[in-house]
Amino acid sequence: MSASVQSADLVAAPATRRLTRLNQIDIVGLLITLGTLIGAIVWAFPLYWGLITTFKHEYEIVRPGVQLWPEHFTFENYVHVLLQTKIGYWYINSLITSGAVTLIVVMMAAGAGYAISQLNFPGRRFFWWMILASFMVPIPALIVTHFIVISQLGLINTLAGVVGPQLIAPVTVIIYKQFFDSVPKDFREAAVIDGANDFQLLFRIYLPMNWGVTTALAIITFIGAWNLFLWPFLAVSSEDKMNITVGITQVHDNFGVSYGRDLAVAMLAALPVALIYLIFQRRVTQAIMLSAGIKG
Amino acid sequence: MSASGATSGSESAAAPHVELRRVTKRYGAVTAISDLSLTVDKGSFTALLGPSGCGKSTLLRMIAGLEAITAGQCFIDNIDVTDTPPAKRRIAMVFQSYALYPHMTVRQNIAFSLSVAGQSRKAQDERALEVARILQLEPYLDRRPAELSGGQRQRVAIGRALVRKPEVFLFDEPLSNLDAKLRVQMRLELAKLHADLGTTMIYVTHDQTEAMTLADKIVVLDKGVVSQVGSPLELYNTPANKFVAAFIGSPGMNFFGVDIAAANGRTASVVLPGGRTAEVGITATAGAGPAELGVRPEHLAIVDPNDPHAAFAGAISIIEHLGNSTILYVDTPAGQLIVEGEGNLDAKSGQAVGLRLNESHARLFGETGAAL
Repeated sequence: MSASVQSADLVAAPATRRLTRLNQIDIVGLLITLGTLIGAIVWAFPLYWGLITTFKHEYEIVRPGVQLWPEHFTFENYVHVLLQTKIGYWYINSLITSGAVTLIVVMMAAGAGYAISQLNFPGRRFFWWMILASFMVPIPALIVTHFIVISQLGLINTLAGVVGPQLIAPVTVIIYKQFFDSVPKDFREAAVIDGANDFQLLFRIYLPMNWGVTTALAIITFIGAWNLFLWPFLAVSSEDKMNITVGITQVHDNFGVSYGRDLAVAMLAALPVALIYLIFQRRVTQAIMLSAGIKG
Repeated sequence: MSASGATSGSESAAAPHVELRRVTKRYGAVTAISDLSLTVDKGSFTALLGPSGCGKSTLLRMIAGLEAITAGQCFIDNIDVTDTPPAKRRIAMVFQSYALYPHMTVRQNIAFSLSVAGQSRKAQDERALEVARILQLEPYLDRRPAELSGGQRQRVAIGRALVRKPEVFLFDEPLSNLDAKLRVQMRLELAKLHADLGTTMIYVTHDQTEAMTLADKIVVLDKGVVSQVGSPLELYNTPANKFVAAFIGSPGMNFFGVDIAAANGRTASVVLPGGRTAEVGITATAGAGPAELGVRPEHLAIVDPNDPHAAFAGAISIIEHLGNSTILYVDTPAGQLIVEGEGNLDAKSGQAVGLRLNESHARLFGETGAAL
């Protein structure tokens, strides 16, 4: 904003300078900036509050009044969480299940998207409508059914049981289908003449040509799986098999809730996702835009 | 339509390499190609020429196997390949868009078919290098298509076809994405490639210059049927019908209505618009009545308006100086006629002139459009 004002100033002739300057003070823009700034603070404050709380002693936390900075800085909450809970297991479980969900969802969705986009087989339209219809049903509405199916398969309290229902990812299929639709057919025909079969077409032409989509979808799928709470919470009851999101609920002691420790484990749980956001910011935004475009 | 009188040379040289027998292609209710037969000789350079929508690309894609044949058969090397998948037909195709895989280097693009076939990396690299050497692409082997110029991309597309050592090359308007200068250059390179390899090439184009300069046989297509097959000069000098006559040659042939006064088996005496008469050679039997006369611009000459041998009297409307020739648009009783004169022709717009007709080169067309 200020840069553009300056450059416009330099260009403007001296006589008209005052007038232009008045015009250039963009009051609406200023208000919008102010509004977003306030919004950002409102959004970020709970995060700050949570983080700062983890460095406080419990007696400081429960004391009445607002303290924006700890009186006595401590790592006691983190030390407790890391040494006295099964956070290591939870981390590994989360990594395994989220990794598996990401890998399987991306592969399956790419395959399904390719088949629906490029192949001619009986029932193609039917499958397409099924996939479209399936994403109109919210997953929590099906959670009881999922539980019954998974328990009848004997997969309750297993990592496979956690992964299973998360593989329903119609949006990913839809995005892949649309990207594969937009690949000019010359590429396909050239490869067919070169002797490529459908697997080679998918893995050597279609997927690499849409690599950006794959990474974006993988990241957003991973983050979704990592953050998922409801299903892992229902599917697992033994502490060894819990995900980090579910593990948070286990951090309590005989004296009831300990806010510092709860928040410390929450901060640790959020860390990988925060890192992914920081590293792959652009891709994450792209992925959100992609799925937002589909979801409307 | 068979081999179009290609009787010269030994039996093997004229053996049909690609043959379409009574093929039809329908898309729902629309018939793109109807009952078309065609033979392409081994080692020939055959151009499929026609305006857009005439079915020439469909025909090529049927030979490639990319388009199913509704009825009829396709033979390559006397083997029925009608239901053979494209990869097994020993053909290679160069697309108009080149279809170079953007995520692969030139080397990987060229070697893609070998890699798909499971050949070793070493064999792939060797063959890619060999092909790159032929096409002077060696310095660009590690670049991606986006980093290449139009002509280089075109060469990579050819390289990708070349690497498979195909029996038949198929080209689908390969030069239409290039600028005029590069097009001429690539045309020469293609001609040289054909001379070096001696492989059968089938080339789809809507550009008659490309077809005339490259091909030794041209198949002119009109609305899904073969209009005429012949050498470039045959098509130019003795077009079988008005469509071919109009399509081949630039600037195009002049057409105007005439009346046949009398005709024997060899010549017809026609009355030109404006009342003068001309003797025109014919090959078919013709009766008296209306017909159309086609004259190429270079077969009309500017003469004095009072010249007793002039076929028309008229006035120059527009003059275009091209340097090596002059194109004149002359208003005559037969309508506006295009005349091609010498480069240093001295003429003015509005000037009254006479037009002399080179009768031996004029072609007479009957009411159906077929040459008489």
